[in-house]
Amino acid sequence: MQLADQVLDKGDRGMTVQMLTTKAEQAILKSFEDNATDLPGGTAVAELRRAAIGAFASKGLPSRRVEEFKYTDLKANVKDVLPLAVGDASGSAGDGALSKHFAALAENAVSFVDGRGVAEKNGNKFLAGLLSSPPTWIMSALADKELAASADLLLNTALFTDGAVIDIAAGAEPTDPIVMVTSTPNNALTALRHVIRVGKGAKVTIVEIEQAPRTAGVRQSSALTQIEVADGAEVAHIKVVEARKGSLHLSHGQVSLGANATYSPFHMTVGDGLVRNSLNVFFNGQNTTFDFAAASIVHGTGHADTTLVIDHTVPHCTSRELFKTVLDGQARAVFQGKVIVRPQAQKSDGKQMAQALMLSPDTEFDSKPELEIYADDVVCGHGSTAAEIDSDLIFYCTSRGIPAPVARAMLIESFIGEAIAKVAHDGLREALTVFARESLTAV
Amino acid sequence: MLEIKNLHVKLEDEDKVILKGLTLTVPKGEVHAIMGPNGSGKSTLAYVLAGRDGYEVTDGDILWNGESIIGMEPDERAAKGVFLAFQYPMEIPGVAGLTFLRTATNAVRKRRDLPELSTPDFLKVVKEKAAKLNIDIQMLKRPVNVGFSGGEKKRSEILQMAMLEPTLCVLDETDSGLDIDALRIVSDGVNALRSPDRAMLVITHYQRLLNHIVPDKVHVLTDGRIQKTGGKELALELEKSGYADYTGKAA
Ligand SMILES: Nc1ncnc2c1ncn2[C@@H]1O[C@H](COP(=O)(O)OP(=O)(O)O)[C@@H](O)[C@H]1O
Ligand SMILES: [Mg+2]
Repeated sequence: MQLADQVLDKGDRGMTVQMLTTKAEQAILKSFEDNATDLPGGTAVAELRRAAIGAFASKGLPSRRVEEFKYTDLKANVKDVLPLAVGDASGSAGDGALSKHFAALAENAVSFVDGRGVAEKNGNKFLAGLLSSPPTWIMSALADKELAASADLLLNTALFTDGAVIDIAAGAEPTDPIVMVTSTPNNALTALRHVIRVGKGAKVTIVEIEQAPRTAGVRQSSALTQIEVADGAEVAHIKVVEARKGSLHLSHGQVSLGANATYSPFHMTVGDGLVRNSLNVFFNGQNTTFDFAAASIVHGTGHADTTLVIDHTVPHCTSRELFKTVLDGQARAVFQGKVIVRPQAQKSDGKQMAQALMLSPDTEFDSKPELEIYADDVVCGHGSTAAEIDSDLIFYCTSRGIPAPVARAMLIESFIGEAIAKVAHDGLREALTVFARESLTAV
Repeated sequence: MLEIKNLHVKLEDEDKVILKGLTLTVPKGEVHAIMGPNGSGKSTLAYVLAGRDGYEVTDGDILWNGESIIGMEPDERAAKGVFLAFQYPMEIPGVAGLTFLRTATNAVRKRRDLPELSTPDFLKVVKEKAAKLNIDIQMLKRPVNVGFSGGEKKRSEILQMAMLEPTLCVLDETDSGLDIDALRIVSDGVNALRSPDRAMLVITHYQRLLNHIVPDKVHVLTDGRIQKTGGKELALELEKSGYADYTGKAA
């Protein structure tokens, strides 16, 4: 709190803190100010929050000069910041992606409405309730130094109001996916922090859905998910973001992987809002696989940024990234895939493919692979394509009697379907396929 | 009956004229072969029949059962019974063969006022027809033509033809890239579709296909025109003497 005061004071005097000029940044600091005493947590957490807001104050929202935000300039694009939601947890999740397409999961879902968990289920706890004296593993996750590097993550640490704590015991194989649904019925800023630990040899599917019901207001949300995957564990992690015009969603995954583990994230982003999905993955044990796929369908003036940093710190690990986006209107998609192979990480195997299908000439796809390879015995490759629908293929389909609009829809769906096909869970894969199909016809 | 009258075709984006007054009639129940050297315009004729973009008909007409099809979209022509087996069948990543076949079959049936096939009925028909063409049903679960050998692609074209039950079959160099066994399988598939209701136009570069699919007539196409029409023996003659005698102007 003190730090924030200080910053605001300096801001008032102008000059000293030149960077802190935007209205949005002022509003974020004020939000912290106004809510600091109500934000959950004991002394340790409060201290963490103060340090985070202080660091945020000196960094400001990331502008395009910050390499990771090269194509997504938050300083320039976030004009206003909504009041922080401190929900009373009595709200209903409303009628969005979840109820429409993932109905089978709804029974199991843990809801977060206006920044607060609604009812604990399946033994998973809410973070807010543990913060007065958090268990060591949670505290050390919250205090992870890596998270201090980026202003969007500092923002989360300063402001998060709640989140899920998921602790999967060694060897556990829950049959149903663990589902978290976030919605924000009122115009508000939310910040959630999920802390997940998957024990040795456990197998689990985790689903995060950020839904935007038609009836809901415009939202600004930050969601930071930290996952620690122990040796031999297999984790599928699906994230669906509905982004409506005017809304902002900043999502980040911070993942560390043990040996002989598999982590398979799948991101689906749909809509015309501003979305940033970033993911940092650290290989801490050998023979581990990271298998990422993403499907995004962006229209209107939507902007969807996916930025990955994959850090091969140990030998014999595999990373795969398949990014697919369908763009219409004036939509823009960004894919940045940084793969670092440290000197000791011999026999690393990294492959990356980013593809955009552009349905309108006014769309933009920025694809930036970055390979930083310091080891000599590695296999790394990347590719990127941006294309319109192939008119030869349309002809082939129509010559078989398939009407052109059906042929187009079929080709677009098959394009995005190659990414969805990577989802191993049958029910989820089917729900995602239908969700994609309906989102495409709505485009 | 297919009637092609004085057909002139040029490329839409270039000045290049490819067909220069092509006239040809194929009555129902007959199989006609078109033979010609590379670059003579055989594929262009096939594409213009199927309705591909990029070609401009500057003169002449194409009548199918008395109706001009020149202004029609490819899917409308398909509904009216036109089918082209491509010289180079296209690959469609991400679309399973069975999905493609069922979408096409039911689209065409709907427009012919036939009931759509239910999934079990469709599968039964596909299995039967695929077996005759020596196509493993597993192959049809893969994306259309992706990773298929040349011969597999050609057989998959004939399977599509068998499913869509066209009345005008245009086969563009269906024999190219086939070994002798595959040639026999494909030819048997085509012959099985010969019927009094169907007209077939078999485009080929070599005579050997016509030993298997015996034509009622053979047309020689060079320089954008039919230079000569004869019986099946004309194909044998061409095999011996080549196309040298048929350079457009000399004829
Ligand atoms: N889309 C096209 N673009 C450029 N040239 C073409 C195109 N289609 C056909 N041609 C040219 O027209 C001529 C006839 O081609 P084609 O019909 O493919 O002949 P064939 O099938 O008899 O070998 C060739 O010279 C070919 O290069
Ligand atoms: Mg040809």
